[in-house]
Amino acid sequence: MAEKFDNLEEHLEKFIENIRQLGIIVSDFQPSSQTGLNQKLNFMISGLQDIEKCRQQLHEINVPLEVFEYIDQGRNPQLYTKECLERALARNEQVKGKIDTMTKFKSLLISELGKVFPEEMVKYKAIHGEDAPS
Amino acid sequence: MTEMFSTLFGQNEAQGPPGSSSLGFGPGKPPPPVPQNQASMAGQMPPQLGDEGPALRKPGAMNEPFYLLRELPVGNELTGNTNLITHYNLEHAYNKFCGKKVKEKLSNFLPELPGMIDCPGTQDGSSLRSLIDKPPVCGNSFNPLTGALLTGFRLHTGPLPEQYRLMHIQPPKKKSKHKHKHHRLQDPLPQETPSDTDPKKKKKKRDDDPDRKKKKKDKKKKKNRHSPDHPGLAGSQPNSNSLR
Repeated sequence: MAEKFDNLEEHLEKFIENIRQLGIIVSDFQPSSQTGLNQKLNFMISGLQDIEKCRQQLHEINVPLEVFEYIDQGRNPQLYTKECLERALARNEQVKGKIDTMTKFKSLLISELGKVFPEEMVKYKAIHGEDAPS
Repeated sequence: MTEMFSTLFGQNEAQGPPGSSSLGFGPGKPPPPVPQNQASMAGQMPPQLGDEGPALRKPGAMNEPFYLLRELPVGNELTGNTNLITHYNLEHAYNKFCGKKVKEKLSNFLPELPGMIDCPGTQDGSSLRSLIDKPPVCGNSFNPLTGALLTGFRLHTGPLPEQYRLMHIQPPKKKSKHKHKHHRLQDPLPQETPSDTDPKKKKKKRDDDPDRKKKKKDKKKKKNRHSPDHPGLAGSQPNSNSLR
């Protein structure tokens, strides 16, 4: 899995470097640079071919759309991962709190019902005794 | 819900309000005998209320004095009670992203990417969102350019206009000197001379190269722009992002 990403990353880096060099040639063009320019243009096309080949290996990868918003705003996409983890942990704690509260309420209710309706609660525990939740 | 109870259990008005006595919760009061028609109707209840939760237990003497006693739901092993970060072995990822401070800018994530990448993509039409909304035409194969096609790329000599010139400038790198030297050795200009080991030739190349001079000037300008003393820091960035 990581190899597919490494392969794509390598091709993208080469492609970007080629484009950058193309930009430098074009920024102050001389007639002698025409051959180099043509070479760079064909490198660009071969780079696109290589990236196209990588696409087939990565068609199962899903990227959340929210990450694109971070990138479009010029923000680090790792912030999205960070915020996802923080939200997951906060939600986990919230649900754990609810479960703990409900568990305490259940035990309190059973104990109070046992005081008010002792016989019925004995029967209830006898019925639910096998599958009573912990 | 109360209408369902009354129709199922056939309460008469003469009996008085249903209350707790009919349900057997009153202390010291025996539960009323269950008529046979009610027992059969209660037995029919699971298929009617099957979509409302766990199935009802079979009525009968074993469940007295309780009516409508449901099965407890099957407990799920994985609940919010468990630390899901630990469960899915994400502790390392959590410490990595949430333990340390993650830098805000995109250039911190991609330090080697050339150009002004910290600017919003909507400014120069290079946003990924636009790529999703208007996907490019695909399906055609990539073919190398032939001689006839390359004639369209014959350029005029001379420098680019000022507005397009900053395209190739990289953001300031904060890497160590050794890496910077290694990067310098990978000369961006096309290598017309094969040997780069001769120091005299290297010096000549550096001195004669106009692009390097321009690069240095632009780097200086950029450094000055990013310094806190520079007055026009916020609005002084040129509109050169369109070429990216």
